[in-house]
Amino acid sequence: MDLTEHPIMLTLQDTISGDGFLAGVTLFGRALMRKEDDEKWWMYGVRPAAIAESGNTIDETFLRFRNRYKEVLFDIAQDNNKFEDFKAEVERFFNEPDEEDERLWNNALKAIRSSKISPPEPFAQLPRESPESKPSKITIERLDVEGKRFKSSDNATDIYALPNAA
Amino acid sequence: MSASAPYANVLRMLEKCAPGSTVRLANHSRVITFNRKVYPSLPKFDDIELGHIRKMVRFLGIDKECAKKHGVI
Repeated sequence: MDLTEHPIMLTLQDTISGDGFLAGVTLFGRALMRKEDDEKWWMYGVRPAAIAESGNTIDETFLRFRNRYKEVLFDIAQDNNKFEDFKAEVERFFNEPDEEDERLWNNALKAIRSSKISPPEPFAQLPRESPESKPSKITIERLDVEGKRFKSSDNATDIYALPNAA
Repeated sequence: MSASAPYANVLRMLEKCAPGSTVRLANHSRVITFNRKVYPSLPKFDDIELGHIRKMVRFLGIDKECAKKHGVI
């Protein structure tokens, strides 16, 4: 049996300049990938939900989705002059749900975990992560504050992964 | 099957299927509000790929049958 809805776990980290502030945004997100009738791969946001992007391969789709996500952060920074307003708007973007896609994501996870379905190529090559140990969340931190300590261990690589089956 | 729809048709759909919705141009994307929700990532192209419109319709809770009648999903 083939899986048509592919549940994706995202890790994305950005540094965003606003008017008078610098923000670090780290996302542990969720998305669904699906091949549509136009023969393209589509990545539909689940957390955050209000975003979609397409591509001819799953890598291209992820990269275009990643860029569109960054552009949303740029637009929010341009529209909000205060860090607190920027943070609130990014949190709203992350938290506003798409119940239908969220349900499909959870169903796809259950299907993977039922062991009846294994991910087809090219998804079989993706790294696996545990949704339980990496719950979806977003952190928005002000970086331009006195006394802020920066550590190399805070860096996070862009990743899109499949949830593990166990 | 066309994989995109003219933006003018999307606007017409919003007027008919999402009364009270607003459209604002941000620097990188169009920002659509409806049902007290914000869709901040509609591309600024003249032709919009249907996947973007499908997602926006789903997310904002716009009547899908109405959107289908306008040929944008």
